[in-house]
Amino acid sequence: MSYGFEAINDNGKVIINDKIENLHFLGKATRGGNNSDYGNFPNYSGAFDALDGRTIHYFTITCTGTPIVFIKPYPNGRFTGVIKQSVSGTTWSFDVVVSGTSTADPPELYCFVNADEAPTSSENYGMQVFKANGTTRTFDSRRQPLAITSGGTVIAPSDPTLGTGLPTSTSGHPWNYATNDHDFRCQGVHNRYSDSSVTTTNSSDLMFSCPSLAQAVCRRRMDGFKQSQDYGQPTQNHYSTAQWYVMYRAAFRVGTRSGAGFFDAGWVVYAAGYSFSSSFEDGGWFGGGGGSYSSGTMPYSPKIINLQSNAYILADSSRYD
Amino acid sequence: MAFGLEVFKASGGTGFSTADVTWQTLDQFTVPANATVSNTYSDASGLTIIAQRQMVNVPPSSQEDYVPNISISGTTVTVSPQSGLSSSQCIVHVLAQDI
Repeated sequence: MSYGFEAINDNGKVIINDKIENLHFLGKATRGGNNSDYGNFPNYSGAFDALDGRTIHYFTITCTGTPIVFIKPYPNGRFTGVIKQSVSGTTWSFDVVVSGTSTADPPELYCFVNADEAPTSSENYGMQVFKANGTTRTFDSRRQPLAITSGGTVIAPSDPTLGTGLPTSTSGHPWNYATNDHDFRCQGVHNRYSDSSVTTTNSSDLMFSCPSLAQAVCRRRMDGFKQSQDYGQPTQNHYSTAQWYVMYRAAFRVGTRSGAGFFDAGWVVYAAGYSFSSSFEDGGWFGGGGGSYSSGTMPYSPKIINLQSNAYILADSSRYD
Repeated sequence: MAFGLEVFKASGGTGFSTADVTWQTLDQFTVPANATVSNTYSDASGLTIIAQRQMVNVPPSSQEDYVPNISISGTTVTVSPQSGLSSSQCIVHVLAQDI
């Protein structure tokens, strides 16, 4: 370089210069309410009713820039992910999903922005670096620049469910048969990635940035049928359909005190439902009237989308407390 | 530290030093639904570039939210809908690191 500023770290890599901006700590987002649900299938009781549940925590923070967020999960092994980020004026909102229905021990959300959008500091010690325009800060040591621990690329498993294979649609069941045979729980279903920067001593301070993008809808469908005896009369057909469905979102977990050295990419239940319908013809030997019954709807198609490799970044939250 | 740069906070603690590692931020922008955006960052020549995507919409209750694809070629980052699919609004953070 002929002029300007450049700082090279111990590995010989540029970490500060006058051209590219560093990220600086904006603050912790404020946690508002939460929504907890789906410990089991709504409106169904029977075999494989249990799900893992999920809690969505709602956060906000005010900022003129676009924050990049890190989740500091409570170190209890639950999977976590940011599933939504939106803005109204200068108020940013985040929906953070956590596996399980317990609202206790929520995660914290650390937000980072460019130096000029980070809170001003009254400190008169430190170092600032500006771009060639003389006004845009690339670095300000007083505004808590981001330092990272590690990072990598992860992807959640292609089957979110604990049951063997993805759930299927089958016919030939008895009329009005509605007993689920697929385990839709997802706790423990994950891909594990080694990360030597995660240790038993630092794991409870680690925070990660890895948005939840992948979404999966899995469905078990059972079609039932019964036909009446004819006894010389036209037969009556009886049909039924039972469906269980779960929508999952990708979520992540960093090593806990009991297990260090890894970063996990898995799934969290986002929504679930059960629908049942039954119909029966009129006439025939019995001569009775026909009819139908249905409850619930399935708003989704069973498919997995956005299942792509995703970059994650780890950092030490204790530097910003 | 025996050599390098160490910047202290007023409290006396280290604020940042050349023992640290970081990702710097090249850009952040919001891509409208179904749009294609392509940006070139010449200042990042020689650096490793990654892009993080974050969905903006409320998680779907009756729809499918497709995230746009990201392709990085040299210092050019292109965001575009997945082939044959409608993409949803998305926030993109473009980060660079000297690796």
